Amino acid sequence: MTGILLVIVICGCETVQPWERGILSKDEMQWQPNVMESRLRNQVYASKEASSGGTGAAGGGCGCN
Amino acid sequence: MASRKDDLNKTLAALTSSAFLLPAYQSAMADAPPEFTEIGMRYSKYKEDDLSAKKVFGGRSQRMDIDVAQFHLLAPVSDDWSVALDVGWEDMSGASPWFVGESIEAGDPKVVMSGASIEDTRTEVSVTTRYYFDSGTAGVNFTYSDEDDYESKSISLDGSLNSEDGLTTYSASLSASDDDITPTQGSYPTNTLSATKDIRSAWIGVSRIISKRALVRFGLSYTYRDGYLTDPYKYKDSRPDERKEWTASAGYRHFFAEQNAALHVDYRYFDDDWDIASQTLDVAWIQNVGQDITVAPFIRYYTQDKAKFFSVVINDDNDSDYFSDDYRLSSFGAFSYGLRVNYEIGNWSINADAERYQTDESWGLYSGEEAPALVDTWRYGVGLSYAFK
Repeated sequence: MTGILLVIVICGCETVQPWERGILSKDEMQWQPNVMESRLRNQVYASKEASSGGTGAAGGGCGCN
Repeated sequence: MASRKDDLNKTLAALTSSAFLLPAYQSAMADAPPEFTEIGMRYSKYKEDDLSAKKVFGGRSQRMDIDVAQFHLLAPVSDDWSVALDVGWEDMSGASPWFVGESIEAGDPKVVMSGASIEDTRTEVSVTTRYYFDSGTAGVNFTYSDEDDYESKSISLDGSLNSEDGLTTYSASLSASDDDITPTQGSYPTNTLSATKDIRSAWIGVSRIISKRALVRFGLSYTYRDGYLTDPYKYKDSRPDERKEWTASAGYRHFFAEQNAALHVDYRYFDDDWDIASQTLDVAWIQNVGQDITVAPFIRYYTQDKAKFFSVVINDDNDSDYFSDDYRLSSFGAFSYGLRVNYEIGNWSINADAERYQTDESWGLYSGEEAPALVDTWRYGVGLSYAFK
């Protein structure tokens, strides 16, 4: 997966002028469209799986059972 | 002529401004401060399926049930500063696996649940302030979380820097957390009366505009956990007091004009020195329906290898230093799938989502025995937000 994306980046980049980036600023193109839902979702996964993180530095823990 | 030129300059300025709203690596880290104050509230329900009777010894088969309320505020402080406040409340009750034993008749591993119902509430307050400069952002976050048996204080610093052409954004963050554990004393003895643990973490990432309709990002992280990492409530649970974790992640966003929809693909590889490795693939399709509605089905696949000291069944003769029969440290695979719907009405936004999460040892890419306490869950929620435009 990471390799495929690297190939896309290396082969597929084009110069996109600032005024051509309107689509990229749409809500549906954000990395996390809904902050609150993403926050809860990641917490639930982290409490039921043995791994977490990947989108930033890890925060504090919880005593999740 | 001069008027037409002014109009053209205004249009260019508007388009350029919207381009600078591109996130560094998440929506809370836009390259420009928010234009308006936004507030949001959300209620969610999380419920674990009961354990089937054939997997439990006598006791309760009911598991955790959690109500969650969240509040979010994002406000501009000046032209180049913003502040965000996130508050969360959780009210949880139910039972949790205590240990796994073998039935005398058939030798099948079965779960013994914590006898008394667990009751706890958790409050989390998180404050972030962010400074926006010409070519990037810098932010500081402080988060405090408190529940009956656990307290956590964490601070993080992050920054992002855009390349001269604005096509590439380099990001980094550092965090430190100090956690205090004071297990609630009930009918069963806990593994400790009081303990602490520290978490230190670093992350670097790069995101790149690869076309007018596509973005990609990569990230690497390292997390070091030090202190009491054992589950205080699980019988005979004993884990190393140190854990080193690494992740490599990638993400892709593509907008399809003909379908008026966006594709989200995210992948993460995780590895640590407890011999746990995992892979996660998250795919979502964000479909615009008219001007005001988005409908987003999503699916996630997760698979993990077991910890080197994991054993399905407790063994009283076990003389190794470490042991855990916690299903969360076992080999398994998980599929989750769901739907998010968002409706914009003027300055209001209403959203709802539902997710089903199911686990099975045979769905995993890594081999291992099935832990009988593997959990299936439901999560659903509704939210409302308002922008002071």
